[in-house]
Amino acid sequence: MAKCTVKLTVLVLSLSSLAACSSDGAGPAEEQAPSLVVSTSPAGFPKGSNVELAPADNALTLDRATLGKRLFYDPRLSRTNEISCGSCHQQAYAFADPNAISTGVEGRTGTRNAPSIVNAAWGKSFFWDGRAHTLEEQAGQPIENPLEMDLTLSDAVTRLAADSSYVAAFEQAYGELPSESSLQKALASFVRSLVSGSSAYDRHLRGDDSDFGPQRKRGEALFLSEKAECFHCHPSGSLSNEGYFNNGSYTAGGDTGRERVTGRVGDVGKFKVPGLRNIALSAPYMHDGSVPTLEAVIEQYDAGGRGDRATDPLIKPMALTSEEKADLLEFLRSLTDEALLQDARFAP
Amino acid sequence: MKLRLLLPLSLGMGVVSGAFACSSAQPVAAGGAAGFASASLGGMSNLAGAGGANAGGASAGGVNAGGAGAGAAQSACPEQATPQQTQGALLSLSLQLVMAGKPFAFGQPNVLPDGGSLVPLNFRFYISEVQLLASSGDPVGVDLVTAAGVAEPYGVHLFNAEDDDSRSFRVLAPAGDYTGFKFALGIKLACNQQRPASLSDPLTDNSQMTWPHTGGFLFLRYEGRYTAADGSPNAPSDLPPVVHMGGSIEKEFVPHVTVQGAFSIPANGTLEKRLSVAMDEIFKGASADIDVSDVAVGLLSTPESIAGERLRRDLPDRHVFVLEP
Repeated sequence: MAKCTVKLTVLVLSLSSLAACSSDGAGPAEEQAPSLVVSTSPAGFPKGSNVELAPADNALTLDRATLGKRLFYDPRLSRTNEISCGSCHQQAYAFADPNAISTGVEGRTGTRNAPSIVNAAWGKSFFWDGRAHTLEEQAGQPIENPLEMDLTLSDAVTRLAADSSYVAAFEQAYGELPSESSLQKALASFVRSLVSGSSAYDRHLRGDDSDFGPQRKRGEALFLSEKAECFHCHPSGSLSNEGYFNNGSYTAGGDTGRERVTGRVGDVGKFKVPGLRNIALSAPYMHDGSVPTLEAVIEQYDAGGRGDRATDPLIKPMALTSEEKADLLEFLRSLTDEALLQDARFAP
Repeated sequence: MKLRLLLPLSLGMGVVSGAFACSSAQPVAAGGAAGFASASLGGMSNLAGAGGANAGGASAGGVNAGGAGAGAAQSACPEQATPQQTQGALLSLSLQLVMAGKPFAFGQPNVLPDGGSLVPLNFRFYISEVQLLASSGDPVGVDLVTAAGVAEPYGVHLFNAEDDDSRSFRVLAPAGDYTGFKFALGIKLACNQQRPASLSDPLTDNSQMTWPHTGGFLFLRYEGRYTAADGSPNAPSDLPPVVHMGGSIEKEFVPHVTVQGAFSIPANGTLEKRLSVAMDEIFKGASADIDVSDVAVGLLSTPESIAGERLRRDLPDRHVFVLEP
C-alpha cells in the first residue's frame, strides 16, 4: 500500500474568534476548550470537514451544538413529554433504533426504520426518501410528525421560552430568544457534531491494518468488485453515494419511497443509500427494518433482492459462496467504531 | 475472450433525421488492455502522484488528509483554473433527452416503436474541455460556468437527469460567429487520476460516477428498465439495461464530441440553445457490433462496461448530440 501522508486537519475551534467573526448573531465568546465540536472528516469522505460543511447561517459552534444536544435528549419536544430525538436515535446503537419501526407518542408507530444519523454532516439529503435538503430542514419534521413527537414547532418554542435556562442558551448560541428556526438549527448543529471515523476500516484507510486482517481485506475486495457490486451505491470511503436506489427490498404495494417525493414511476421503491459506518450496530436493516441481521442482508442481496420488477438492474443474484458471505460480513463488522458508543461528548 | 456479436439496433430510428446539425466524436485512444482499470485493490500504483491513501490522526472521529499528496497531479486538474475567457456572453445549452425524435422522459415510462416501454432510472455524464469552432475553423477554448457566471469546479459539468438544475451547461464565450463546438464527453486524464475523497463536487463519490478505489471515474452512466409490450422484462439485445462508459486511468481515454451548427454569440447577455441528446444513438453505440475483447478484462468484463466501451468507440459514427435550430 502506498505510504500515506499524514496531514491532521483537526481544528480545535477558537470560539472567541468564531463569535467575533460570526455575522449571524452568534453569542459571546467562550474561553474553554471545546469538546463537542471538532472540525474533522473521516477517511475517504468527500472534501470538507463537518465544520466547513455547515451552512453559512448556522456555523457550527460549541454553544450551538451543546444547545442542540440538550434539545436532542429533551422529551419536552414531544407533545406528551415522553419521547426525545434520542429515544429513537440511541448512542448504543450508533444513533439508530434497535426496533424495526420506532414508537412515537402514545405508542404510535410509523412505517420506517429510524436510521443512524452519524456522519450526517456530509449528507446531501435526509430521510429515507430524501425529502429534506438540509439538516436544519430535517430537524423539525420528527417533532411535528403525529406518529413521532406530535408537537408543533410553535408549541415547542413556547415550552422552551418558558424555561429561563433555555432562553439563556439560545441567546448564547444564536443571540435571540428561542424560535422555530434556531430550534432546528441547534438540533442540526448537534447532529453535525456526531462524527464517526475510528473504526478498523477507518484505520485501514489511513494505512493501519493492525485490525484489518486477511478476511476483512477479502471482504473489502469483494465489496468493491463487480461480483458483489456493492460499490455502485456504497463507494469506498464514505460508503454512500448519497443517491436513491431500489435495492430489492421493495415489493409491490409497499412503501414507494422516493417516488412519494418526485412522482416519478422510476423512483418506485428507491430509498436513500445509507452510509455504512457502524452498520453492525444498527440492526434491523432497510427502510422498514424488515431484515433482522447482517447475515440476512447479505442473503437478500445474494438472491438479487425480493424479485420485484422495480429492483435496480444492478441488483442481481450473485451466487456468493459461504466463504465470500463470511468475508463480506467480517468486512461490514470492521466498520464498527466502538469509541463512538462510549464517547461522553455525545451522551445525554 | 471473443465477445458475442450483437444485433444492430432495430428500433427504427436511425440517425436523427432532418436535424439541423449533426455530431461526431473521436475517442482519443482506441483502447488496449494495458490502460484499463482493474478491480484489483492493488492497483494503487497506477495512480502515481494522485494522492495515495487518506491519512489522518487518532483524534475523535479520525481525519482525512483532504487531498494531501495530490501535488503535481492535482495541479493538472485544478479546482479553479485560470479562466480562458474573461468577457463575453453566456452561451447556455439546454440538454433535452429524445428517442426516435420524441421527448424521452426521465423516470417515466417511454413507449418505444416496438410497443414496449422504457423507464430510465439513472442517466448522467460529464462534459468538459468545451471549445467553440470559429468561422475561421480555429477552436476557441471557453470555460464552463454556472448561471451566475462562476467557473464550474475543475472545468467540469455533470449532467444528472435527476437534477433539473444540471440540465443546462453554460460557457462564457467571446462575441462572434461560430460553426459549432466540441467537448469531451467525460473528464481528462489528469482529473480521472484523482481520488474522489480529495476533490469537490462534481468529482466526488456523490456524483455516482466513481469506480472503486483506483479506477477513476465513469464518463457516462445509464441504467433503465424495459418492459415489452407483452409485459415481459426481456429487453432486446440492442437496448442494454445498463451502460457504464469509462475505464482507463493511465492514458487519455475520454472521447470528444463535435457538434455542428451555426450560431452567433452577441457582445453580452445570454444566447440560449437547445441540445438534444439522442438516447437511441447511445443505445446503438452501446450495442454496436464492435469487438472490445482486447480490453474486456477486470472491471471491463461486465456487460455494462462492455456496452460502455462499445459506445465510446462507436461515438465517431453516432449523432448523440444535436444542436437544435
